[in-house]
Amino acid sequence: MATKTKEVLESKVKDSETEDPTAPDNLKVPAKPALKPVVVPIDKPVVYPLDLPESEIRLRTPAVGQRATRPDGRLHGLGQTQYIDDMTFPHMIFAKILRSEHAHAKILSIDTNEAEAMPGVLATLTGDEIPVNSFGPTLQDQPVLANEIVRHAGDGIAAVAALTEQQASDALAKIKVKYKPLPTVFDPLEAIKDDAPKVHAPHSNIYASKTIKKGDVEKALKESDQVFHKQFKTQMVEHVPLEPHSSVAMWDANGRVTIYSSLGRITLGRDDLARTLGKPMSKIRLIGTIVGGNFGGKNEITTEPILAMLSKKTGRPVKGTFTRGDEFISSTTRHPFVMDYTTGVKKDGQILGRKIRLILDGGSYCSWTSTTLGKGGILAAGPYNIANLLVEAHAVYTNKTTTGAMRGFGAPQVCFAYESHMDDMAHALGIDPLEMRLRNAFNEGSVSPTGQLLQSVAIKESLQQAAERFGWKESTK
Amino acid sequence: MIVKLKVNGEIRSADVPPETTLLKLLREHLNLTGAKLGCDVGDCGTCTVIVDGNSVNSCLMLAGRASGREVTTIEGLASSEQLHPLQEKFEELGALQCGFCGPGMIISAKALLDKNPEPTVFEVKDALSGNLCRCTGYTKIIEAILDAGRIMGTAEAKS
Repeated sequence: MATKTKEVLESKVKDSETEDPTAPDNLKVPAKPALKPVVVPIDKPVVYPLDLPESEIRLRTPAVGQRATRPDGRLHGLGQTQYIDDMTFPHMIFAKILRSEHAHAKILSIDTNEAEAMPGVLATLTGDEIPVNSFGPTLQDQPVLANEIVRHAGDGIAAVAALTEQQASDALAKIKVKYKPLPTVFDPLEAIKDDAPKVHAPHSNIYASKTIKKGDVEKALKESDQVFHKQFKTQMVEHVPLEPHSSVAMWDANGRVTIYSSLGRITLGRDDLARTLGKPMSKIRLIGTIVGGNFGGKNEITTEPILAMLSKKTGRPVKGTFTRGDEFISSTTRHPFVMDYTTGVKKDGQILGRKIRLILDGGSYCSWTSTTLGKGGILAAGPYNIANLLVEAHAVYTNKTTTGAMRGFGAPQVCFAYESHMDDMAHALGIDPLEMRLRNAFNEGSVSPTGQLLQSVAIKESLQQAAERFGWKESTK
Repeated sequence: MIVKLKVNGEIRSADVPPETTLLKLLREHLNLTGAKLGCDVGDCGTCTVIVDGNSVNSCLMLAGRASGREVTTIEGLASSEQLHPLQEKFEELGALQCGFCGPGMIISAKALLDKNPEPTVFEVKDALSGNLCRCTGYTKIIEAILDAGRIMGTAEAKS
């Protein structure tokens, strides 16, 4: 492909260099050096193999087994991909957000007068000015800008739009916020107690629960040769996409809002924007572009309504890009889990019953907790045939950074627990850990904890093949 | 203050506030947005450019300090006809996913290969120690750099 393009280019260059032989001598213009166009051949077709086996199915799926190159890979490598922060619009100004220093406090007052008088500042914004100051994919429990209570250090309180980012940052320091600190709770096991400080008073800190029941777990544990118990904990993880969250909002004179955003879910985002801005969806245009890493952390709106309101107030395009600090304290993170596993087994390693309690640290707002709770709960027992099962999962508010979607929605946390638990039990029973898994693993037609009939189950074959290839037997000798 | 420097072989100048970093100068004043702002504190390497032959975090260098020096950015690697071997290999081997770390990675790799065209895997890892990638897990990136080094070595041997 590249060679072909080069040939085309060269022939063009030759053409323009050729002088017109019919022109009279005095009118002959010396040939101009050709201005070479910048050619970036981006049309790289997928080349399908011709030597496919004669099977009909295989012929219908020629792409399987091929090395695929990303259609946008070349522009990435050339540095020509336009991420949001690479975009600029005429008369664009910059927004910065003041964040709470308190983990839990009542906001008594917010004074933006001095900030507004700072050089370059065109507007400020507080939560009271946002038409519907709440959002969230499941529960709308999160304020766009907190105006009554801050629930974690990092909650946005007020925003400034100024001619430069530096001016906006400088003005943030001039916003005066009076707080009345409230009691805090950081440990999810403390937060589930009745006397714990309430993050969303007067509501309970437990804001979502899921129970999965199968068979009679108590009976199974009694009948087991041995019962194992262990608690597993995982930590909070930030996605750290290399591209910080970034958006540009433009509110035009007809009241239409155009937003360029690094958001990964634009349809949902448009819905949230319509709600928070109190506008019909038809007035909102949300443009998602290439995202510089999402991993679940860019699945909901963050600053978009703030930028839209600042654009409305100033009549200018407003850009807002998170600092790395903003990213850590105000974007969502992975849920820390506290996982209690109790498993009853026979001497030969067969699992008879399993009881699981999952406590999800939800941080200060719901975000994607319901999805995480559901998936974590469903997958908590692992890919094993367990006739008697009880899973109880609860999500709990704490005064920490909000937890939300991240790669796997709770699946990695429970996988760490059930596989560690499996190794511990195999070790105690004197059974090879691989054998322990093979004895319990799903087979074709197994039924998942929630009653789903499983098809194309290849876990045993996969384990055996993998063990063979990396020399499992030799390594455990 | 007026900053005058050579960027990708061309003399460029801009009038910038003294606190302007080299990254801001490139991105906002010279419209070269290939170098990215990722952390602004020198941790992630998305802003890497070459200054007088060495890879630097342009977010940590003041524009004034780059005055009179020679800067190469990602925009200076490909010609109108040809990709740089690093760009070619990064694309071919799928070393770029979201792409945000790409320009910085490629520039760090170029700074290495310019000095050491046949690096070992450890030397490549060492040269990339200031560049973070959150998508790929680095395997393809290292592979691409080693491959590009081989191509560049062969090209040099021919000429």
